[in-house]
Amino acid sequence: MTTILKVSDLQVDFMSGEKILNSPLRGINLEIEAGKTLGLVGETGCGKTLTASAIMGLLPTTASQRGTIEFAGHGFLEASVMGAIRGSEIAMIFQNPQSAFNPIFNIGAQLTMVAQRRNIERGRIPELLIDRLASVGMSDAKRILASYPHELSGGMLQRCMIAMALISTPKLLIADEPTTALDATIGHQVLGLIRSLQQRQGFAMLFISHDVSAVAKVSDVISVVYAGRVVESGPAYDLMNNPQHPYTRGLLGAIPSAQKRRGQLTAIPGSVPSSLKDIVGCSFAPRCALADSACSKEPPLVHINQQLIACWKVGT
Amino acid sequence: MKKVVMDISHVTKKFHIRNSKEFFTAVDDISIELFEGEVLGIVGESGSGKSTLARCIFGITAPTSGSVSILGQSLAGKRRKSIRGLRSNLGFVFQDPSGSINPRMSVFDAISEPLKLRGDAKGEITKRVEFLIDRVGLSSNQLVRKSHELSGGQCQRVAIARALATNPKIVLLDEPTSSLDLSVQAQILNLLEELRSDFKLTYFMISHNLDVIAHLSDRVAVMKDGKCVEIGESASVLTNPQHSFTRELITVHSQNLESDPILPPNFDLDHWQDGPLNKWAFQNISKFLPVQEIAPSTNPFQFHQQPLEALESLSVPNEAQRSSLIELLENTHTDAIVVLRDGKLAYEKYFHGMQPNSLHLLQSISKSMLGALFGEFIARGVIDPDQTLGHYVPELKTSVYGSATIAQALDMNVAINFSEDYLDPNSEMARLDRACGWRHNFTGEDLGLSSFLPTLNGNGEHGKAFQYCSANTDALAWVISRVLGKPYAELLQEEIWKPLGSMYSATVTLDKDGLAVGNGGVSTTARDLALFGQSLLNHGFFNDQQILPKAWVDATFNGASKEVLVPAYLSSLHPEGSYKNQWWITGSEKREIFAVGIYGQYMWIDPSTKTVIVKFSSIPIPVDPIHSRIHMSLFRAISAAN
Repeated sequence: MTTILKVSDLQVDFMSGEKILNSPLRGINLEIEAGKTLGLVGETGCGKTLTASAIMGLLPTTASQRGTIEFAGHGFLEASVMGAIRGSEIAMIFQNPQSAFNPIFNIGAQLTMVAQRRNIERGRIPELLIDRLASVGMSDAKRILASYPHELSGGMLQRCMIAMALISTPKLLIADEPTTALDATIGHQVLGLIRSLQQRQGFAMLFISHDVSAVAKVSDVISVVYAGRVVESGPAYDLMNNPQHPYTRGLLGAIPSAQKRRGQLTAIPGSVPSSLKDIVGCSFAPRCALADSACSKEPPLVHINQQLIACWKVGT
Repeated sequence: MKKVVMDISHVTKKFHIRNSKEFFTAVDDISIELFEGEVLGIVGESGSGKSTLARCIFGITAPTSGSVSILGQSLAGKRRKSIRGLRSNLGFVFQDPSGSINPRMSVFDAISEPLKLRGDAKGEITKRVEFLIDRVGLSSNQLVRKSHELSGGQCQRVAIARALATNPKIVLLDEPTSSLDLSVQAQILNLLEELRSDFKLTYFMISHNLDVIAHLSDRVAVMKDGKCVEIGESASVLTNPQHSFTRELITVHSQNLESDPILPPNFDLDHWQDGPLNKWAFQNISKFLPVQEIAPSTNPFQFHQQPLEALESLSVPNEAQRSSLIELLENTHTDAIVVLRDGKLAYEKYFHGMQPNSLHLLQSISKSMLGALFGEFIARGVIDPDQTLGHYVPELKTSVYGSATIAQALDMNVAINFSEDYLDPNSEMARLDRACGWRHNFTGEDLGLSSFLPTLNGNGEHGKAFQYCSANTDALAWVISRVLGKPYAELLQEEIWKPLGSMYSATVTLDKDGLAVGNGGVSTTARDLALFGQSLLNHGFFNDQQILPKAWVDATFNGASKEVLVPAYLSSLHPEGSYKNQWWITGSEKREIFAVGIYGQYMWIDPSTKTVIVKFSSIPIPVDPIHSRIHMSLFRAISAAN
């Protein structure tokens, strides 16, 4: 298997001059194989979207980045090469389709701009757009292309965004909460669409979501992030059925269901820390039932059976 | 009779479309009664009219037509002031916690505002606010903070405290957890459930999240395009939806995309019952077989714990040697054990990832539940035990069940050509499993219970010899469902599972046509099943009501007639043993009865020491005489422990 993306110890600090304001990413390690899906799951403020921004080279200028991002065929990603890669080899779809499109241009104009940027021959563009829209299940392409974003539903706009991302054939698709803003039935259709496109076109995917069940549905490998670090990573089946890290266990136990009707859900006490710059030791320790003095040091991410786990209390 | 606390009658809300003469109907003729103490869940997608309905009901906007009355008083035509008076019976919790609290107010001000509006005295207000803040799990030093200094979960706790300030009877929860993270959502759901039972609240809860609705609601109403397309008990709406939209919503919700990472990689439909796969499979039936839910009681039985210390040091005769209890439990592949003594929880242990709230497949203990259900309906005169099965289900007329009676099927003395060999893939038992959907149907025939059972034929006179045959129970489940015109799961739910005071749902697997697998398809928690055992021990009277007919329980304890021949495997273990009403009777002086399922499922009831034992296991093979003997001595040792 070839590794398409390898993120090693990615750290991001937000700076004000020389002063560190916050350290939202404190050690992200990811590896995505060609054609496979890595699900990145975690709660608000854990660094999921920022990880995607760092990979795309879209961090704000106040951010200082350490660690490496390696992309197949290009070595380490740096600002100088990103212009050629962003959008064409690594494409991205965003959470909120309504705000991802410019409200004053129609869909056709916006897709055409993207196609021109990919150096596609002018004459071929209309035909290509119709084909791409058909591949995301919109046969009524002429009408869609003439529509403005506010004239389309959330599900249709999300399909348009997927079509836009797939205008050139990317090697990696980053999907940042692609179904969160959609209704359940529409979200499910979109998820199914992404999966079937992936099977046909063979791109790898980084699937970011706070919704554990959505991640479990599409991912081959799942990585759980907490407070800017990957705390557990492993094959989807093992992770879902045999979670090891206390945070992952808590997260899976917190999913309500008819089966657990009115029973106590595992509620993790407290909430995600809002500032990550002064964390010493394990960031989950303040909320963890197992924490003791050993947790005042930061646990490394180590292999335990099929999984990678960062916890002093697992496997000892 | 349940008390109606809110009556929504034909409520319609139309909005004028700007610059036109047309109207948009957001809520279209909705009528719902809300009963005291229940949780009514409203589901639907965005734009289906959920929130507009809530606003109409709570008097925030006036409906275009229709009326709402709260605690018997109608809101319609009331002045603002008197609506305000009525509103103190109502509490509101909105979706966006930080947006629903005035950013310039401290937590104290926010919670006390409704009390000030009501004109409470200052000292009273302070006391009440301090009580509330503690009740929602915040500390009183957070009272001086403002909303931006609190996390989303803390804000929602404040909003809940504010909603409860005036001691309302009904609380509207509009997407109470949608903007919260999963781990915080669980905190809030736990809190809501705790408050509901402590303050006897009625919840009107709106959510697009089916998990949340299924977790809390007693009843569910499904909305689409302003209409209520379906309303009913949440168990039946969510497992057996009638409207196509509900069905779509549920399918989308539960369906995994083509590859399902939740099944173990080595899963195989032909071998899931055998070890070691059964350690996973028995606890996860609903992940690979269609099931129907059996909803729990709305008022669960509260266990009293009284640990029986003698059990910790118990030594059990185990073939030639003796073992400690824990050793023996491990050696017999135990998944769960619950011991009740005098109706109190005396011992409880779980293994292999099982939890007090996990369901476990009962295998043939399911039969004993069916036996009790028949006891009930026979006592009511709904079913005649001396009629044949074919009398009730004409499709069975030409089969062996055309001549065998209900009583004969219940006591397993139907003379049938049926090999109950669990390991022979060509036995009738294996065909029955295929008809139930429990194995791959490689034969290609259109196999379901309703096509398989009518093919079974007989070989002699009924009522003479005991012959254990699982198909009898499936035929009986078909009969009872046909006679009462209701799914088998619903009958178990109404007659047994709810009255028992069960805490959790149970499930029963269904064949391809939706017929319940009565012979072994029920899954329950260990504790809830122990309640069922306790009800037999109490002669059918349990949880303040006569759940099972006393005469039926007594007849079951008395066992079968001595004239019925008993096979060696039973008489060698229990010399006076017999089988009656889908229960096994030891015939010993202690008068124990028990229910048993393959791979080590047991429920043992010993009236002499008032002991009920439930043991779930995942033994690698279906039947093993050594394991059967060990279990008998284990249960007798536990029952005798003092």
